[in-house]
Amino acid sequence: MSGPVLMLFAYMALFMLFITLPIAAVVVISFSDSSFIAFPITGLSLKWYRHIVEYQPFVTSLATSIELALASTVLGAVLGVPAALALARSRRALAGVVANLLLAPLSVPAIVLGFALLYFLSALSFGLSFGALLIAHTVAGIPYIVRTVLATYRALPRDLEECASILGATRGQVLWHLTLPMVRPGIFAGGMFAVLTSLDNLPLSFFFGTATTNTLPVVMLSYMENQFDPSIAAISTVQMLIAVSCLFVLDRIYGVERLTAV
Amino acid sequence: MSAQPAYRLAAPNWCLPVLLFMAFFFVIPLAANLLRTQSPGTGPFFYYIKLLTDPYYAGVLWETLKVGLITTFATLLVGYPVAFFMVRFAGRWNALIVFFVIAPLLTSIIMRTFGWRVLLARRGLLNTWLLDWGLISRPQNIADDPIAVYIGLVHVLVPFMVLSIAAVLQGVDVSLEESARMLGAGRLRTFLHVTLPLSMDGIATGCILVFVVTNGSFLTMLLLGGGKIKTLALLIYQQFNTTQDVAFAAAMGNILMLVAAICFALQFHLLRHRGVKT
Amino acid sequence: MSAPLPLRLVDVSKSFGGTQVLKPLRLDLAQGEMLALLGPSGCGKTTTLRLIAGFEAPDAGSIVINGRDMTSMPPNKRGLGMVFQNYSLFPHMTVGENVAFGLKMRGVGKAEKTQRVRAMLQMVRLEQMADRHIHQLSGGQQQRIALARALATEPSILLLDEPLGALDKNLREGMQFELRDIQRKLGITSILVTHDQEEALTMSDRVAVMAQGEVVQIGRPTDVYDRPRTRFVSEFLGTANIFGGVVKGATGENCWLVALDLQPQIEGLVASSDALALGQRVTLAVRPEKLMIGPPAPSAIEAWVKDVVFRGAYFAYELTAHGQDRPLFAYSQAREVAVQNGTVGVSWAPGSAVILQESA
Repeated sequence: MSGPVLMLFAYMALFMLFITLPIAAVVVISFSDSSFIAFPITGLSLKWYRHIVEYQPFVTSLATSIELALASTVLGAVLGVPAALALARSRRALAGVVANLLLAPLSVPAIVLGFALLYFLSALSFGLSFGALLIAHTVAGIPYIVRTVLATYRALPRDLEECASILGATRGQVLWHLTLPMVRPGIFAGGMFAVLTSLDNLPLSFFFGTATTNTLPVVMLSYMENQFDPSIAAISTVQMLIAVSCLFVLDRIYGVERLTAV
Repeated sequence: MSAQPAYRLAAPNWCLPVLLFMAFFFVIPLAANLLRTQSPGTGPFFYYIKLLTDPYYAGVLWETLKVGLITTFATLLVGYPVAFFMVRFAGRWNALIVFFVIAPLLTSIIMRTFGWRVLLARRGLLNTWLLDWGLISRPQNIADDPIAVYIGLVHVLVPFMVLSIAAVLQGVDVSLEESARMLGAGRLRTFLHVTLPLSMDGIATGCILVFVVTNGSFLTMLLLGGGKIKTLALLIYQQFNTTQDVAFAAAMGNILMLVAAICFALQFHLLRHRGVKT
Repeated sequence: MSAPLPLRLVDVSKSFGGTQVLKPLRLDLAQGEMLALLGPSGCGKTTTLRLIAGFEAPDAGSIVINGRDMTSMPPNKRGLGMVFQNYSLFPHMTVGENVAFGLKMRGVGKAEKTQRVRAMLQMVRLEQMADRHIHQLSGGQQQRIALARALATEPSILLLDEPLGALDKNLREGMQFELRDIQRKLGITSILVTHDQEEALTMSDRVAVMAQGEVVQIGRPTDVYDRPRTRFVSEFLGTANIFGGVVKGATGENCWLVALDLQPQIEGLVASSDALALGQRVTLAVRPEKLMIGPPAPSAIEAWVKDVVFRGAYFAYELTAHGQDRPLFAYSQAREVAVQNGTVGVSWAPGSAVILQESA
């Protein structure tokens, strides 16, 4: 291997280290037996995991976050998938405009959107509630789903639907037997992004917090601003494990390759 | 005989539900925000003038721009070789590399930022190593130094840059580079004259993406850097938490929106020439 | 009162964005016949097929299938079958599921469905493949499955959109015969769209040559080939040697003498049942295989042999004659007819020349 190439390989090794080090550090700290954040750690203990289970806000907010992520993604899919199918094959200029509108939330800083939605919804007396959170997260999640479904559907040969039609399938049958199964990887890929973004979304959720409805990131942040101990590390690790195991389960059932083969 | 449309599966009115939803819960709230910057007793542009002329706030605006540009540039430098490696060298290890690049997105940003706090703190890993290697004599609180913010931001944003560039680099035919080599160009010149120009699309997309996201970040500035880096998003967060000055926060938000809109328009304009991949 | 025609196109026309792609077209299909729509790309043949299928709606005119006006009927209600250019096999289903799809949409019972699928697969000689996935099949196999799928629902008309285009040459020839065989055995009315003249001539009962949105000539393959009406048809279907000339007089029963525009001027004979006027300008076409090459003679056109190419089944001679701006082509199976750079005399029998209509 030549010099420059060798350097590239070395760079990659450093890069992977760079990427994983903070995450590894947090996982390690979560098993620390001391209340100080110190590295290297002095001893091992599971006490912080016990602590977070006892700390009610962590548990309820984790449940809320998961519910919210799933609900907003499902709602986003119900709204976004039909639109993506309609937009993908349209040649009108309006279709481009609409598509860009549906993707626009990606470009808006979440903190601004959250702020605007908060005041708008409360003007409608919608108030701080799970419903308001749901609306906000759905708005944020729709672009991911629309984007991947657009790409997947555009890549499908148009012939297939025409073929199904001439074989006798009604529009509904074509959708159910042909289009949706073939677009499924796009829906799942987009859905996964939407779920992950929702779980981690602080700027959006932060405006809608109440004593009873709060998402995990918001609770974690306020905890960090008051107490700085390895509980954060423990709950972060738990959150990561949930995300990873979901991916695992999805892979088992569908095969992530097939799911995300956009 | 009336003209009927050609056969198409999805009717245009399938867009209606989502359009109504977005109009109501996205467009209108943001539009309303534009109008929210008026406080009783002040002119409509009072807060904007304040933001642009008051030295403290002007400084924040400048800082936001500075952080955005530096982070974008740094992410580009760090990320391009990774994307290049992924597309040209990885081969069957490609899946593994992709996993490493994407995996951080499975963890919360709080976790990653917290991780950097841990690593860069006075009793953190970096300090331990630097002491062990004799590079410093006393532990430094790097976590509270502005550099920590940049490290944190680059760490979070480099996957986006890598994926943007890799997507475009994939499409650059290897045989183009091989032709250049056959014509006598060395590795560096091949890269500069062939690969780099052809990957411009990906670079542009990645840079705009990173810049816009950096503008909207505040968590990294909140938890790292000891509060020495104050950007507009952080200011909004603090305004909301402390003073509850709605109109002021709205004005700041609108400026952020304006910058995002400019970037968005720039990207749309750039991509339009290539037959859009929205 | 006989049964209605399987297909009648009555003044069907279509424009796309200001360009008229299909001029008002009248076409009738006889029961059990295979009609080929032949022409270069852009001639409107694919548009015609798509209008019949129902994927596009005509601007004017009506499409009558089996006596019923189907012009406003959606594609899934027309009872047709279609083999697409790229086969369009559903990638997420097995071979068996693909073939059964049309039956499934009609709500056919499971037992009957299985039996019908097996019968179809047997017909295309792929009974063992029912459980395979599409990507496991070769191109030729995919094509046969596409055919089986289209025929499973017993359509009234079978539409074929360049079905053999994606196959290798060897495979293509075999499939031409096999497709034709199946079509004849089932007696199913079919329309074949192709740009390959050999395919059209081999597989069809009638050929409709199309250009620029209209049918230029329609007839049996031998008729269209031997008696092309226009220069375009004569050159699209095989090669043609074109001569211009002026009618000098009649020399016998339906035989005319034409002074050809060559140097030195020479006369050629052409058979025509139409009466020709003296001094009338005509354009003649002679097929390469009908052009006779011999030693130079006063009654033959003098030509110089530019090139001789061996094509396996025959020799192709490229000749230049004075006054002829394009080379002449002659085919001969004999080996020693002429050598490169030699001079020959070219002639033809009166019945081998055809008078073309001036237009196009």
